[in-house]
Amino acid sequence: MPETNEIILELKEVNKSFGGLLAVNKVNLSLNKGELRALIGPNGAGKTTLLNLINGIFPVSGGQIFFKGKEITNLSPHRISHIGIARTLQITSLFSGSTVYENIWIAVQSRKRIYNPLVHASKRKDVKDKTEYMLELIGLKEKAQTVSSELSYGDQRILEIGVALSTEPELLLLDEPTAGLSTEESVILVKKVQGMIAGKTIILVEHDMGVVMGLAERITVLNYGEIIAEGTPQEIKDNEEVRKIYLGT
Amino acid sequence: MISNLAVAILNGIVWGLMMALIALGLNMICGLLYIINMAHGALYMLGAVVAWYLIELTGNFWIALIIAPLCVGVIGILMEKGLLRTIEDKPIMTIICTFGVMLAVQELVLIVFGGSPRRIDAPITYCFPLFQLQYPLMRVVIAAISGLVMAGLWFFLRKAKYGLWMRAVVQDREMAVAIGIPVTKVYMWTFALGSALAAFSGVLAATIVSVEFMMGREVLIMAFIIVIVGGMGNLEGSVLAAIMISLIQGVGSLFVPPSIAMVFALAFMILVLLIRPQGLFGE
Amino acid sequence: MILSKISHFGFVLIFGLVLLVLAVLPFFVDLYYQTFLIELFVWVLFAISFDLIFGYTGLLSFGQALFFGLGSYTVTIFVRKFGFNTELSLFLSIVIPILFAWFVGYFSVKLTGIHFAIITIIFAMIGNIIGETWTSFTGGSDGLTFSPPPFRLGLLSVDMMDIKSNYYFVLAIVAISYLFLRRIVQSPLGKVFISIRENEERVQLIGYNVQRYKLVAFIIAGGLSGLAGGLYSLTLKYAGASYLHWSVSGHAVVYTVVGGMGTLIGPALGAGIIMSLEHYLIDILQTTDLVAGIVLVFMILVAPKGLVGYIQSMLKKGETSA
Repeated sequence: MPETNEIILELKEVNKSFGGLLAVNKVNLSLNKGELRALIGPNGAGKTTLLNLINGIFPVSGGQIFFKGKEITNLSPHRISHIGIARTLQITSLFSGSTVYENIWIAVQSRKRIYNPLVHASKRKDVKDKTEYMLELIGLKEKAQTVSSELSYGDQRILEIGVALSTEPELLLLDEPTAGLSTEESVILVKKVQGMIAGKTIILVEHDMGVVMGLAERITVLNYGEIIAEGTPQEIKDNEEVRKIYLGT
Repeated sequence: MISNLAVAILNGIVWGLMMALIALGLNMICGLLYIINMAHGALYMLGAVVAWYLIELTGNFWIALIIAPLCVGVIGILMEKGLLRTIEDKPIMTIICTFGVMLAVQELVLIVFGGSPRRIDAPITYCFPLFQLQYPLMRVVIAAISGLVMAGLWFFLRKAKYGLWMRAVVQDREMAVAIGIPVTKVYMWTFALGSALAAFSGVLAATIVSVEFMMGREVLIMAFIIVIVGGMGNLEGSVLAAIMISLIQGVGSLFVPPSIAMVFALAFMILVLLIRPQGLFGE
Repeated sequence: MILSKISHFGFVLIFGLVLLVLAVLPFFVDLYYQTFLIELFVWVLFAISFDLIFGYTGLLSFGQALFFGLGSYTVTIFVRKFGFNTELSLFLSIVIPILFAWFVGYFSVKLTGIHFAIITIIFAMIGNIIGETWTSFTGGSDGLTFSPPPFRLGLLSVDMMDIKSNYYFVLAIVAISYLFLRRIVQSPLGKVFISIRENEERVQLIGYNVQRYKLVAFIIAGGLSGLAGGLYSLTLKYAGASYLHWSVSGHAVVYTVVGGMGTLIGPALGAGIIMSLEHYLIDILQTTDLVAGIVLVFMILVAPKGLVGYIQSMLKKGETSA
């Protein structure tokens, strides 16, 4: 989706320290609606921590976060989910004992408000229809009855994105979706995912430069918790400091 | 009044040091093996019961004090090796498994030992004057012995080979395996040591309270409370928490009925759990 | 789709059959055995309420005895001391534990794992101590006896002193409670509980207020535990402080684990098997906990999903190899 000029996410002077360790240092970030922003940086740069701060998993040590103009700093994760931000994790986090169908179901159900405890879950047609739609979208309809822990790793990563998407987010935080995948598998995943995430605003944390260069509209580079560069993929490629950090990636 | 206070304080310290031994054993097992040992109170009770039998046999308290913990240590090894090893990584399973062991052991003792509480005579019956009252020297001896054992444990963990291995495994299990520490053996000996500590305290306690199959139940909960208030994995914290809680209970009982004191102590625990779940002294 | 219709029909069939057998039983067995069965029904109710929070939601609470004891005392005290009728007292034996479960649960669900277990034990301990020491109100460890008047609802009148009537009364209530719980765990609410057990973090990330749902589960379980306690007292015409001791919760743990957690039928089965075992062995061994303890350890090591889980996995194996 073409990037608009409407700012959807804003981070102002966001800090995070764990004890003595400053993990995120005075980060200022502006994200436009529809943008696909890649967040890159060496291990330990604070990328996942930054996502955790946006998501509400960690409270900030300083600074503010705004989503669609409203402050969301330090809100709890479940409230942030309802505000329209969804998250996938670096280490696959699914409902391991449940089937693919059930994983999507529970995510879809989260958007519905009224739960009559005496109604059989399968009677919720609204949830059922949306679930089947999502399964179709992420391409896992045939594997719907497979227990999620028995899926291939690549499929699990896709399911995780599917679960996040089922919560109807406007902003999707993807934390290393290709982590643990081979290059071919990454390519496949990206192909599958590109259709799924169309229209959403995305922050993509990634190590795989091929994926980043291929997908990102803008890139933010993090090192030691600070933003050291920000720009288009070409600008970042040409950036001396970034090159230094990545030593010729 | 002052005599009562002095007695209460001394009792609090004595009981606190004994509880510290039990809590230390539990803390080591929890902190190292991540096993929530619901049978720990039963091990304490076994120490007292085995000691009772040994005293019947030999007539000597001190022999029982040495041998009974050794026996229970062996039982600990059997527990760890035979029962817990396969489920060591699943805390919920270990809670339930050790709970089952607790039930079985308690009932077994009921069958063999009987339901009537029995007493062990303290080897030292001398009482010294404390203000207007007489205070049993045995209790002071108990406190001293407990203190010695704790000091010994401190040295063991800092100087002895197994002690250092134990601490290494707690700090970084993978690294410990990588540098060749026999981790499974360490688990086994830790459980044995923890069990023996509980049993040792049981033998000491048997001179103060009566020996019966149920004596471990309340002790178990107090031990958990101490470990949590002191901070799981924080051994010094357990000692401090044990003494603190015992003192509060003991001195508190002077002013309010003991049950009310207990209720207040428990309410205090709830606050600690909610406000500082890592324990008062934990990180 | 068809499979779920079959399993639904299968459940109705089996449930109906079991109910039928249990309904007919009093004509074939003596009063002593009937009383045993009534106790069994009560413990089934206690066990399945525990299964809701443990088997489905993943909360290991050793403090359910608090609500059982509260329910038991509510019925006894309201009838004996305040002269309330049985219907209202039994109703209160659900309401009052619910209120306490709300209070206890509100604080407890802020914790997880062993901390949660410990805090529930502590609350139960407080209840136990109060029960043991406030003897004027609770009768202490001696407890209170009472004679409940007949339970009246509309045209229905159940004489609580008649064992057979008592039997059908408890059976009906427990059966209805079972169906109620079954419906809850199959509802959207139940799905959230199960998801909490499977991955608490993920549930929160997709927008569920986990603490609130845990609290709901805890309250439902508390209410049903209270009902179990109330029924227990109505049957034995007695309430005692020992009902408040955390080790009573242990029974629920044993039945649930042995039978199969997260299945509802598992704990019912577990209660049936263990209690029957204890019933028959008590003459030989004079013991109940020994059997329970050994079976528990055995099951955890060999078949952690319980009997029902074991049977389910056998069926699955049969399916895939066929």
